Amino acid sequence: MRWGWIPIFVREMMLFRRRLLRLGYIFSTMVGPIIYLVAFGWGLGGKVRIGSTDYLSFLLPGLIAMSSMNNSYTWVASSLNLNRIYFKTFQILIQAPISSSSIMVGEVLAGMAKGLFASALLILLGLLTAGEFSPGGGFMLILLLNCFLFASLGVITGMRTKSHEDTATYSNFFIMPMAFFSGTFFPVDEIPAYFKWIIYLLPLTHTNIAIRKDHFDGEGWISLLVLGGYGIAFFIYGSRLIRKYSE
Amino acid sequence: MKRKGGISKVRAVEGMKVENRQGMGAAGNPLSPTMIEADGLTKVYGSIRAVDQVSFQIRRGEVFGLLGPNGAGKTTTIKMLTALSVPDGGHSRIDGLDVVLYPREIKLRIGVVPQENNLDRELTAWENLLIYGWLHRVEGLREKIEEMLRAVELWERKDSLVGEFSAGMQRRLLLARALLPQPQVLFLDEPSIGLDPQIRRQMWDMIRKTKIEGRTVVLTTHYIEEADALCDRVGILSRGRLIALDTPKNLKALVGGYVVEFIDSQGKMTQRLCRSPEEAHALARTIENGVTIRKTNLEDVFIQYTGERIE
Repeated sequence: MRWGWIPIFVREMMLFRRRLLRLGYIFSTMVGPIIYLVAFGWGLGGKVRIGSTDYLSFLLPGLIAMSSMNNSYTWVASSLNLNRIYFKTFQILIQAPISSSSIMVGEVLAGMAKGLFASALLILLGLLTAGEFSPGGGFMLILLLNCFLFASLGVITGMRTKSHEDTATYSNFFIMPMAFFSGTFFPVDEIPAYFKWIIYLLPLTHTNIAIRKDHFDGEGWISLLVLGGYGIAFFIYGSRLIRKYSE
Repeated sequence: MKRKGGISKVRAVEGMKVENRQGMGAAGNPLSPTMIEADGLTKVYGSIRAVDQVSFQIRRGEVFGLLGPNGAGKTTTIKMLTALSVPDGGHSRIDGLDVVLYPREIKLRIGVVPQENNLDRELTAWENLLIYGWLHRVEGLREKIEEMLRAVELWERKDSLVGEFSAGMQRRLLLARALLPQPQVLFLDEPSIGLDPQIRRQMWDMIRKTKIEGRTVVLTTHYIEEADALCDRVGILSRGRLIALDTPKNLKALVGGYVVEFIDSQGKMTQRLCRSPEEAHALARTIENGVTIRKTNLEDVFIQYTGERIE
């Protein structure tokens, strides 16, 4: 593996930089979270408190988790699918003398970088607007893990989908419900018990639990372990799909 | 990349010396005159046998063509030889190494110009070669990129986005990219498809140059004149099966050497194969009008074997 992931990561960053320079890219990345922030955070923020924190300070880590999930996952899933089926540029990677794990590492790191970029913009916005928002080391660790997990899941989707439309289907069935029901906008404690076990199976739920902890307690550690487990499982399965790739 | 166990490895390189090279696994057998060997290659997609028991050997330094209509199995054969597709039956070796068991060693030896343009359209010509060269561990990369871009007359456009290139420029860049790591074997899948005649001739000159440099070249084409102009030997594929394999000259001689074409009494274009010019002229004298005598081409060979036309 050693070096093979570097050109893959650099290639993705070259493409990302070019898109970044296009007018409207940053706006389109930020528009969703900002709408949520304005509609829920500023709209409800003054009237609602979650426990001892104001709603905006509760919402921001959730929006950052959601945004990092969306950007890490969607970029990887969508570009892998397109590069494999339409542009055929994935062939270049498969026909290069590098290992499948190099391809996996390169793609996942690129997805993480895109997720972290979107998160950084929101963190900046949060620091400017929400008084009680102060991300620490634990917050950054969970954010990294979340980006890793969803970029790895993105590889799985990108490798398994048979058309670009399939990518949207996966997103509508798994990613979007997760964004709304996994504790981004309200604590999962509010969810009825018969539904809660499903919610606890979703990785973003554990990101939202752990990312809001000032100090890791038992619940925080469990969530961290769940995230790590998902991340490793997705990474191994994604690597396997690349290794088994055949046209 | 994980590989299969020891017994398979021994089978893969039977009778050949295997040694480790800087941790890269097996080395090839440069003394063997055979560079590529396909043995019963088979690929099945659902109920379709895209490639069916195809076997051939290609000598070092040879330009070998796979000729056939669209859907004959040419691209699938190339994909199996270049480790892009795992065969459902049979196996292939390049430089004595099994393609399935030693994909990384194979990839260090080959360059591929695919039928479909797989350049990054949102990157410049320079960036495309930079990433490719990096992936293939090319030493002295920047100098090599300049050399290759100058060779295909794209140096002046090195900083242009590939998406802005014409089809001909993109084909030239694909060739430059494939040659950048100086591979021993160059695979070209329909190298001049969609190119106008002048650019096609330019492409042919570049392919001839790679042969002069000592490379083994494998190309697929459905252009008769391309196979005739470039190939030392031609394998004709039809419906996934290799139906003939020889030099273009021998293949043409096999079916006759001369063709008499005329319009028959039902107004249909008819062809008769003849062994000699005398035989062709004698036949032509019996036909009243609209007669043409010409030398046989590879399409006549294809028609003779399959009853179908290539294009």
